[in-house]
Amino acid sequence: METTGMTFTLTRRGLIQLLAATPLAGRARAGEAWDGIVAEARGQTVYFNAWAGSPQINAYIAWVGEALQRRHDITLEHVKLADTAEAVRRVRDEVTAGRAGSADLLWINGENFRVLKAEKLLFGPFAEDLPNFALVDVAGKPTTRIDFAEATAGLESPWGMAQLTFFADGAKLPTPPLSMPELLELARSAPGRITYPAPPDFHGTTFIKQALAETMADRALLPVQIGRQAFTEAAKPLFEFLDALHPELWRNGKQFPQTQAQMTQMLADGELLVGLTFNPNEPANLVATGTLPSSTIAWQNRGGTIGNTHFVAIPINSTARQAAQVTANFLLSPEAQARKADLAIWGDPTVLDMAKLTPEDRALFTSAAAPGSVTQPAPAIPEPHGSWVPLIEAAWLERYGA
Amino acid sequence: MARTLRRLTPAQGALPIIVLWALPLAASVLMLLPAIAEPDAWRQLQSHPQLWSALVLSLATGGGASVLALLMSVLVLAGLDRSRALPQLQALAAAGLALPHLAFAIGFGFLIMPTGLIARLIEGGTTPPPWVTVQDPWGLSLMLALALKELPFLLIAALAALARGDGTGRLTQERRVAASLGHGAGSVWLRVVLPQLLPSLRWPLVIVFVYGATVVDMALVLGPTQPPTLAVVIWHALNHADATVNGMGLAMTLVLTSVLAALVATTLLLLQVTLPRLRHWLCAGPSLLAAPRGMAVVTGTIAGLLMLAAILLLALLSVTPRWPYPALMPPAVTFAAWTTLGSSAAPLWLSLLLAAMTALVALGLALLWFETQPEGRDRWLIGLALATLALPQLAVAGGQYRLFLGLGLTGTLPGLFLAHLTPVAAYVLIILQGPYRAFDSRYMMAARSLSVPASTAWLQVKLSLLRAPVLTAAAIGFAVSMAQFVPAQLIAAGRYSTLPMEAVTLSAGGNRPLTAAFALCLAAPPLAAFLAASLLGRPRWR
Repeated sequence: METTGMTFTLTRRGLIQLLAATPLAGRARAGEAWDGIVAEARGQTVYFNAWAGSPQINAYIAWVGEALQRRHDITLEHVKLADTAEAVRRVRDEVTAGRAGSADLLWINGENFRVLKAEKLLFGPFAEDLPNFALVDVAGKPTTRIDFAEATAGLESPWGMAQLTFFADGAKLPTPPLSMPELLELARSAPGRITYPAPPDFHGTTFIKQALAETMADRALLPVQIGRQAFTEAAKPLFEFLDALHPELWRNGKQFPQTQAQMTQMLADGELLVGLTFNPNEPANLVATGTLPSSTIAWQNRGGTIGNTHFVAIPINSTARQAAQVTANFLLSPEAQARKADLAIWGDPTVLDMAKLTPEDRALFTSAAAPGSVTQPAPAIPEPHGSWVPLIEAAWLERYGA
Repeated sequence: MARTLRRLTPAQGALPIIVLWALPLAASVLMLLPAIAEPDAWRQLQSHPQLWSALVLSLATGGGASVLALLMSVLVLAGLDRSRALPQLQALAAAGLALPHLAFAIGFGFLIMPTGLIARLIEGGTTPPPWVTVQDPWGLSLMLALALKELPFLLIAALAALARGDGTGRLTQERRVAASLGHGAGSVWLRVVLPQLLPSLRWPLVIVFVYGATVVDMALVLGPTQPPTLAVVIWHALNHADATVNGMGLAMTLVLTSVLAALVATTLLLLQVTLPRLRHWLCAGPSLLAAPRGMAVVTGTIAGLLMLAAILLLALLSVTPRWPYPALMPPAVTFAAWTTLGSSAAPLWLSLLLAAMTALVALGLALLWFETQPEGRDRWLIGLALATLALPQLAVAGGQYRLFLGLGLTGTLPGLFLAHLTPVAAYVLIILQGPYRAFDSRYMMAARSLSVPASTAWLQVKLSLLRAPVLTAAAIGFAVSMAQFVPAQLIAAGRYSTLPMEAVTLSAGGNRPLTAAFALCLAAPPLAAFLAASLLGRPRWR
């Protein structure tokens, strides 16, 4: 059912785009509508609720604010979050109480998006009407329209790409494990030096999804809704693998780090051999800030790793919808995307299609490989359908939690 | 002020604290009830495999830490009784109290973990030893860190109670009597001082237990994960985007709070029954038991050194992006974290202003209550205050958010102020209740019989004699306000940024230098407040 709904949306969207693209009149109308939005946006303040755990990201958002102020007379206030779910709860409470929104733009994906969409708490569709959306690589990066197997339906606008990436000190680990079985072998030869964060930490769950994708018999099951019984069957090889892996892990797999950040710290301190991240450029970034040595290497498993896209969305009770859309559009501009992808600034991979850019815009993306960069990118494995996550987490907790 | 105080009816004296603190608080808790009533929440709770083991772990770490902290503080106080080191001890304790819990956990963790300083000093080698220190499955490192961190709190509370102007004279005489009966210094302290001190320490001790059993940030750094403490399980559940998972978190909160309340009530009841039986022991003797000076010095020094090491390590970590094992000194130093922190001063000013305002208002409300209400009514207020401290902040703040939404207070400064006042007033009430109610009213009678006006007597006699506990309560209130991050994020919807909110959001990225720099920065204003309180609170007549 889920899939049919999605195909329908895709077709409808495609049709609208086709209609809008062919007759000149349609394009002009769309342009007029956008000009109206830009005009209304002037003088508005956008409260951008975004995770703020990185000074580099915060500095980038501050730069976006300066640019928007200068060009569109929009004030961007970064509401700094430690956990995005908090903004989700705030929007829900506000809408229940019938109050105006305190948030105008959210940085979200996955579970938070699924909940907001299901509870009809999002404004839109708006994303695919943004002028710069035409530059998005929807064909090459399908996760820009499918967020954790959930159709975005124009309710969120893609912002950046993420893909599970491992990293280590190349001086200590010259040949990295390029698959889960190789990781198991490494763990056996270096007991106690490998681990992963305990779910429900997002990165911990992702590690398990990766192991699931690499061990399961039929990967085609991942994007579809799964029931308890089918899950038990499909996840059998996964838990066989984890059963074999855990005794070799840090603290014999009886204790786990709480977060990915803690794991990175343990790697930097020399307690662990391998770290993991969702931002392929984070290792290079950590080398740049001096957290990791310049001998750091980063890799993605040879058969591909779990990848997704992060987005911005507008809560339904936002009081600055126009300015929020102008902000989302600016975030998609080649200028903003190139700056974001710059390792010295943030290093967040772009959602744009280089082939759709003008040569001048393409030239903005000058990312030379730096120490800690991924040298051989692997394909992205789309996130499993949202129904997998609670089942994975519950089964994991049942087996290893107590 | 005091004259008007005298003329106030009990109702007028109670109204401000009820309107500004008790009612919003009670209403916030009530806002959570619909979610708790969901049968789905309880079904999820029942099937959670970690519930009972996590609960046991919470009680064990909280209880163990309280007992350990009490033993250490009794030892230190008895050993250093009437020693000239007491002012220094007070300053040290103030420093320890001012240090945020999370900061101490990070510093202490870097001392004892397998890649920590101790391991580097004694083990060396290229790979760290397989020590099971931090995140041990029994929660021992968490318990020890909690006990060490709560020791200064108990010491400050005890020293403030002992420094009460009305009590010192009588205490000195009683000591003299006991000593002339042949009791040794240790015996005098155990039989004369401790029984008078313990009632003032009752609520601080309950705070220590409740705090230890519900703490999240320290447990995330030092506590076990499989299972973690129940507070951590609750924290994950309340943080979830899914409303039904939030409901399970609230149901778990109800379980944890009820168990804590039942335990505290049983313990207090048991003490009430058994303490009078100890009279026989109190009257026994004389005993030559000496003051445990040596042990006190050793305990105090170890605790002080650990505290100091944690602070020094934090300072080092704040300028050290990378410090791999087994290097004894960081390979490179950068002040990037301090630059980031110094880039905006507005959050610091807002935090200082809020802390000063809430501490003052909370103190005023508490004094107004104590002066106009009979002592018997305190238990309602104290019960509510303890509930605030026992409930997870996310839960209380969640209820408060819904309440304030309806009142149009979210995203406003008054809303932010009231949200800060909630925990601050709770602490001030609990700290002040014991010493304030134990005031020897004969001093006031004496003053009045000398025809001193009521207001002058209150200000110059009572408040002056109670200066130490009153100032300490205000300083603790100030420190509590400086540690709040949920109000700014949730109640103020990020419209106003405070220093702790900046600190918590930035440390979500796990950047250790930044976390350390913020922690040190957050410790400075409370440290100044505690030092000021201990300087100004010193008895004038000694």
